[in-house]
Amino acid sequence: MVEFKDVSVKYSSGVDALNKINLKIEDGDFAFVVGPSGAGKSTLIKLVLKEIDATSGEIVVNGFNLNKLRRRKIPALRRTIGVVFQDFRLIPTMTVYENVAFVLRVIDAPAKYIRSRVPYVINLVGLSNKAKSYPTELSGGEQQRVALARALVNDPKLIIADEPTGNIDPALSYEIVGLLKGINECGTTILMVTHEHDLVRHFGGRIININSGNIAFDEYIGGSNED
Amino acid sequence: MKISSMRYLVHQGFKGIWKNRMMSFASFCIMLVSLLMVGISVLLALNINRIIGGIEEKSEVVVQIADGISDADREQLKNNIGALPNVNTIEFYSKEKAWQNMMENMTAEERALFDYADDNPLPDTFRLTVHEIKKMTETTTQIETFPNVETTRSPTAFADTLISIRRVLGIISGAIVLALIIVCLIIISNTTRASVFARRKEINIMKYVGAKNSFIRIPFFIEGMVVGVLAAAGALALTKFAYEGVYAIFNDDFTLWSVLGVSNLYPFEDLFPYVAASYAIAGAVIGAVGTSFSTGKHLNV
Repeated sequence: MVEFKDVSVKYSSGVDALNKINLKIEDGDFAFVVGPSGAGKSTLIKLVLKEIDATSGEIVVNGFNLNKLRRRKIPALRRTIGVVFQDFRLIPTMTVYENVAFVLRVIDAPAKYIRSRVPYVINLVGLSNKAKSYPTELSGGEQQRVALARALVNDPKLIIADEPTGNIDPALSYEIVGLLKGINECGTTILMVTHEHDLVRHFGGRIININSGNIAFDEYIGGSNED
Repeated sequence: MKISSMRYLVHQGFKGIWKNRMMSFASFCIMLVSLLMVGISVLLALNINRIIGGIEEKSEVVVQIADGISDADREQLKNNIGALPNVNTIEFYSKEKAWQNMMENMTAEERALFDYADDNPLPDTFRLTVHEIKKMTETTTQIETFPNVETTRSPTAFADTLISIRRVLGIISGAIVLALIIVCLIIISNTTRASVFARRKEINIMKYVGAKNSFIRIPFFIEGMVVGVLAAAGALALTKFAYEGVYAIFNDDFTLWSVLGVSNLYPFEDLFPYVAASYAIAGAVIGAVGTSFSTGKHLNV
């Protein structure tokens, strides 16, 4: 669950990135965050990951009150969140398997669990035959699926996808969002930032439109694929 | 932390050396040269000190004893002098022995001049060595106050020269070693910073998936330490080679150097454990600390 209460962010340059935002994303929600560049979408995500702190207001993410969270507790917060980036951010010197397994090593998971969990998740995103490949040997869509597997592997409560389809073919975009939808159906909360209105119209669901640091629109719309 | 995780991190550290082999090699070379420079400076300073020490040991104070004193008085005087804190060894050198010695060192013609001397004109003396050459003047002044001492002769002018040479050398070698250490630390911290910068993406991803700082640091730490120890081993081999070469020159070619008292170098076997331990510790510490310093900046995401 993500909850924002009167959250404002003012950058030192004097720019208001967010202006008294109120927002509640319940467990199991799938929400698209849309809006023009510079509207405050990235700021929103940075706040959830506690990369930056709010200038005022209160934020609760997965039961962590971010206003009171100590620096050395940040890893604990981030372990409940999976992140997918526009530019994939895979480690180029690691194979697909290692890129995914790495997350579990970070959280000190038992070796036995890693050996069973990683192939399972890689299979889930349909890359079992590429487990030993390096990221550079994969297409953009495949790389993003690895990133998705990585976000998924430690079973987070919340997955944040920051323009996950920005760098891949439109046809493959539907595949990625389809995967996210599937994950959501298993109970994981998804927060996906995107520019692509076609995609949003196609899938439908909760749409949060941010404009100039304010929430301009926050409603459920029906997807065209449900007609 | 689980043992399997620790093993993974150590493994990552070793893998990192190979993955970043250019940077590792650069760090290795810089550390090797740095260790070598500092090591050789220290060894040089140690040996110069030892050579000077050797010369000091050989510089004797001669105490001339009053003529015709009793054996008991002489023994008493010897004990008094021997009790002085700065006196190292004391030896009685009788007038007969001195005379004999003098005769032996003369040619037959010279000796003939003394044929008519019915009396030995030489005095009885004590010959003594001191612990600290810089207190030599003080010691001789003290000895001169004792009864039955005629005069003392000591190479004080020579001692003063040695003292100032030693002091200047001490300052110079200290300054060189200090400067080298500072330069090495700067270069090494920059090299590791470059290697960490090359992997900032990796670190960034680790932060996003909830890695603790220690988890991120340990592989770098191990990497730095291993490279440091390897550099230490390289430096040790080169030092041994160079040192034994120099040692052979000074010790075999005894004609000039031994006359100057310079043949008195430490054999490398004596120094080996200290050099090896200092190199290994310095290499490991510099490598580990250097990487820790430079990873710190990238950990605040």
